[in-house]
Amino acid sequence: MSIIKLINISHWYSENRVLDNLNLEIEKNKITYILGSSGSGKTTILRLIAGLEVPDKGEIYIQNLKASVANKIIVAPGKRQLGYIFQDLALWPHLTVYENIAFGLKNMNKSEVEGEVKGILSLFGLNGSLQKFPHQLSGGQQQMVAIARALALKPKILLMDEPLASLDVKSKRKILDYIVSIKEKYNLTIVYVTHDHLEAFAIADNIVVINEGKIQESGTAVEIKNSTNDFVKYFIEW
Amino acid sequence: MIISHNKSISSNLLYTIVLLPVLLLLVLPVLNIVVLTFFGTNFPESIASINRDLFLLLLKSLAVSGIVALISTFIGIVLGFSLYKSDIKYRNVFRLLILIPLFISPYILAVAWKDISVLIFDYNTSIFEKTYSFFGMILVHSTIYSPLSILIIGSALSNISKQMEESALLMGSFKDMFFKILLPLIRPSIITSFVLILIFSISEFSVPAFLGFRVFTTEIFTQFSAFYNHNLAMLQSLLLIFICVILLVSERKRISDSVFLSIGTRGREVKLYSSKKIVVFSYIILSFAVVFTVFIPVSILVYQSFKTGTSKFMEAIFLLLPTIGNSVLLAVIGSIISVFIGFVAAYYSEILNKKLMNMMLLVLFAIPSTIFGIALIKFYNNSLLNFIYSSFGILIIGYVGKYSFISAKLIGNSIKQMPKSMEEAAVIQWIGFFKRIQKIVIPLVLPAIFASFIINFLFCFGDLGTSIMVYPPGTEIMPIKVFTIMANATESLTSSMALIVFLVTILLVSLLFFIFKKIIAKYNVNY
Repeated sequence: MSIIKLINISHWYSENRVLDNLNLEIEKNKITYILGSSGSGKTTILRLIAGLEVPDKGEIYIQNLKASVANKIIVAPGKRQLGYIFQDLALWPHLTVYENIAFGLKNMNKSEVEGEVKGILSLFGLNGSLQKFPHQLSGGQQQMVAIARALALKPKILLMDEPLASLDVKSKRKILDYIVSIKEKYNLTIVYVTHDHLEAFAIADNIVVINEGKIQESGTAVEIKNSTNDFVKYFIEW
Repeated sequence: MIISHNKSISSNLLYTIVLLPVLLLLVLPVLNIVVLTFFGTNFPESIASINRDLFLLLLKSLAVSGIVALISTFIGIVLGFSLYKSDIKYRNVFRLLILIPLFISPYILAVAWKDISVLIFDYNTSIFEKTYSFFGMILVHSTIYSPLSILIIGSALSNISKQMEESALLMGSFKDMFFKILLPLIRPSIITSFVLILIFSISEFSVPAFLGFRVFTTEIFTQFSAFYNHNLAMLQSLLLIFICVILLVSERKRISDSVFLSIGTRGREVKLYSSKKIVVFSYIILSFAVVFTVFIPVSILVYQSFKTGTSKFMEAIFLLLPTIGNSVLLAVIGSIISVFIGFVAAYYSEILNKKLMNMMLLVLFAIPSTIFGIALIKFYNNSLLNFIYSSFGILIIGYVGKYSFISAKLIGNSIKQMPKSMEEAAVIQWIGFFKRIQKIVIPLVLPAIFASFIINFLFCFGDLGTSIMVYPPGTEIMPIKVFTIMANATESLTSSMALIVFLVTILLVSLLFFIFKKIIAKYNVNY
């Protein structure tokens, strides 16, 4: 069953068309990887799903609700019940780990917020870092805080924009394991954007390969590995 | 491309609330003099009064300002490199000392250099007086505006990636790297420096007025205040506005892209040159600049003030003491409003791509102070708006109109450095527009906000061009008091007043830096 639907989406940045009549469905409670090279339009897909950008053409449905149509946002980003892990993580540098996570928690009293933040951080073993600022954490810890911040709002969908690109292999593996476990624990749908096909093959339920704003192939890791599409073969050879 | 969260009602509301007063209180007076000039009954007479002499005067003003801009920009390149790229000790001390002339009113330096000329030369010889005025004007203006060039060019140099220079150095000599890589990379800032200084210099009124050097701004002032020939003054003003706006608009793209006056380098690694040749050269040139632009003028002011004892200095203190409170208060109010308007203009320009307010502030900034003063008089001096014209409000409007662009530019550069994901992360969390601004954007650009407050404060505190035109009768503010008294005062008293203004300015800057230092350090974060 699909939780996100992109129908005939086209999108331009100035004169450049980044998405060209794209149709995509994301299945519920699965990890879907969007795989493509730089400038292929994969981050734009995430930003359109999040409602951070408005499509120039087409419609976007989230949980069966029409969320965006051409040049119009119908469901605001904050109401789409999703979390977004940015490529640069976007941890607010002037706020502590605690404040970063508590920032979006609404309609709770102080002790409830505290309980919520501590509960989430304990999942990642970061309870000792509550009062630290982002720059006082390691790269891996910062990724965890970014994920914890997104999870604190109990999203149904987690959008991840190459958040592990700057990590070493070991840290990357550790966080990928966390991602799989939180997906199970929170019944999440994860849409993950990367150019690293090995990462995708490791944990993806579905993979969508995109090039120049068009989907080249989609399927499971095995199906992608056996694809006959020239671009896909070229891309995963690397 | 449309960014969705930028279209909220709250965001449009804030923009409208700020844009309307800017338009009505600041821009409309300028449009008003355009209309009055071209559609007034005396237009044919005014046009007839524009003769060859006036054009020659305009050319003379342009030539002098062009020389000032060239000299200052050259100094900006040399000292900017020495200050920002050479591996010297006491960099911050040098930086602070070098920037002092920028923070004090131009006429203070004019007084100091006139004192020097009186000591060294026979100033009363008429030929020399004229010659001195010409060189004096260039000398004083170059001294005042070089620090601005150093700031603009230094900021650009600090924003160049270390790797760009290092890869050039691996392929060629230092000279090749400097002329073929570094200079072309900072070209927008060099042009910005030249254009801005040209506009500043041609608009400046107090130095030529004090030195008795006839330029276009003094001519406009004379026509307006001495001959009451308002129509001709307005027509002349329009000519100067036209030149300044053309200059600015032609270089608008470069000026808006130039990194001028950026606060911090956000963790970028700056290449510092530690070769003995460069370091020694830097020490020599920086020390010379400090001695020439700060030490000599200040020493001469001290000498002139106290050469006959302390009586003149005490007299100056008693004369200026009642004005300090008013000046500080008005400058604080003016700067707070300027920073607020500047922030809104910068945010909407950088994040939401709404450039209109920024453009308006840029044009107001480019209009010479005296002319802006005339525009305000013509607009506010009527029964309906007299409650503003006859109060301190007119001075605040003058300050805000002239200096808000500085805040907009400074804060805009800081917003430009802030990744857009910082705000988007809050949008995803359904955080409203005002909370995002208050909790995310403002804290992240706080160093720039404080820095622009300090700079605005100094400009408002020392403003003479606009203030002298619009100050209400009986108003006691420092620059006006000094300027009006010094016309008939002895050299000792003039120097004493200039010295007091200098000392008060330095004291206030130190105080503001002391207050804001910790906050700036806390919020000067890397993303």
